[in-house]
Amino acid sequence: MRNEGLWYSVTVRDRHGKVISRERRRSRSMLGNWYRILYGMMSFLSCSLVGTNGIDWGASWNQDNWKFQASANEDYIGIVVGTGTTAVTIDDYKLATQIMHGTGSGQLRYLICTPGTPSVAGSNCDFLTSRVFLNNSGGSITMRESGIYCRCKGPTYYSYACIVRDVFDTPQAVPDGGSITIDYTLRVTA
Amino acid sequence: MTKGQERKKHPKKALKKTGRVLKPELSYKVEVTDKDGRVIQREEGPSRSYVRQWNEIFQLQAGAVASGGVVKDTSGATQTNAYRTSVCFKCDAGIGYTLNGLRVGKSSTPVSISDYALGSPLAEGTGTDQVEHQLTYFTGPSVVGSTLSFTMQRAFVNHSGAPISGIQEIGVYIFFTAAMMGRVALGFRDALGSPFSIPDGGSITVTYTLKVTA
Repeated sequence: MRNEGLWYSVTVRDRHGKVISRERRRSRSMLGNWYRILYGMMSFLSCSLVGTNGIDWGASWNQDNWKFQASANEDYIGIVVGTGTTAVTIDDYKLATQIMHGTGSGQLRYLICTPGTPSVAGSNCDFLTSRVFLNNSGGSITMRESGIYCRCKGPTYYSYACIVRDVFDTPQAVPDGGSITIDYTLRVTA
Repeated sequence: MTKGQERKKHPKKALKKTGRVLKPELSYKVEVTDKDGRVIQREEGPSRSYVRQWNEIFQLQAGAVASGGVVKDTSGATQTNAYRTSVCFKCDAGIGYTLNGLRVGKSSTPVSISDYALGSPLAEGTGTDQVEHQLTYFTGPSVVGSTLSFTMQRAFVNHSGAPISGIQEIGVYIFFTAAMMGRVALGFRDALGSPFSIPDGGSITVTYTLKVTA
């Protein structure tokens, strides 16, 4: 029996708020870095971890670990999106090709990323995190991957770690003026 | 468009099984050895045991919660001012320490998502139905092929002068912080398939493996 799992949903809306595409699926994406941080927190020991900048600053226990609450405009933390299609591997440390915050060509506006409060229904306890991205770039943008970047403290330096990455089954095109909403739900089941 | 209309237009689809899925898994192994170190009873299998406090404490960290988090502790008290700290999830308990770390107990009650403690945990000591708690220790995360895993383990020694029978539950107590104090919550719990018995001078060792596979 699997008792911990991650699901995601992708919802694309046009400029009028009308839903034009949706994908829901079990995530294929809790990466090794998720468990490296968990190890650091449970054991109070350090271990190797490659941050989103490609540098191994390690992981250890810290109050900021796993933080993926993010403010608007912050494209280095929280749920992130990209155009890469490279298959997910256990040691991925960033999205293949992240879309950055902005209103220029190929850019999206990152809104806040707010982890919700866990809720219990039946034998499940769900924890939902959402983020909306607006396309004010003047053209259509096609997204193919999403993930979660969180804050992480190594023995010496802070870093940001990619702990989740998914490649969409279907590329999601967001029209100019439209938006894409990514929901991740972490579920534990007794 | 209302949510109902949206749902009609875009009905839920079955989950697609395409490509590889990274599978998070938790499993356990329990071994009893006699006073000569011979394995006399053993069980291993997938855990079915994360409970709600696991997600609630994770949310303190992910949401950078500074105050007001709600988590029930192992005494059954609901802590309403929990917040993120560096000790959330800490369970590297020392010798003789029973506040956190792996624990064993005698309750056979099935696991529920709202469990907040072992049903009947064994106490530390050498008296009747007491065990000596050894270190809860970890092996570092390692990647083999497409799997990353790490383990946590604890041995419990019976010097009570008599066998201890009816051990039917295992689990982990983890720290969190609320109201300026260190608190303890149940992270996961498993009811064993059959009761375990530790002879006098023997021990029971519990090993959990946490892994994710590509």
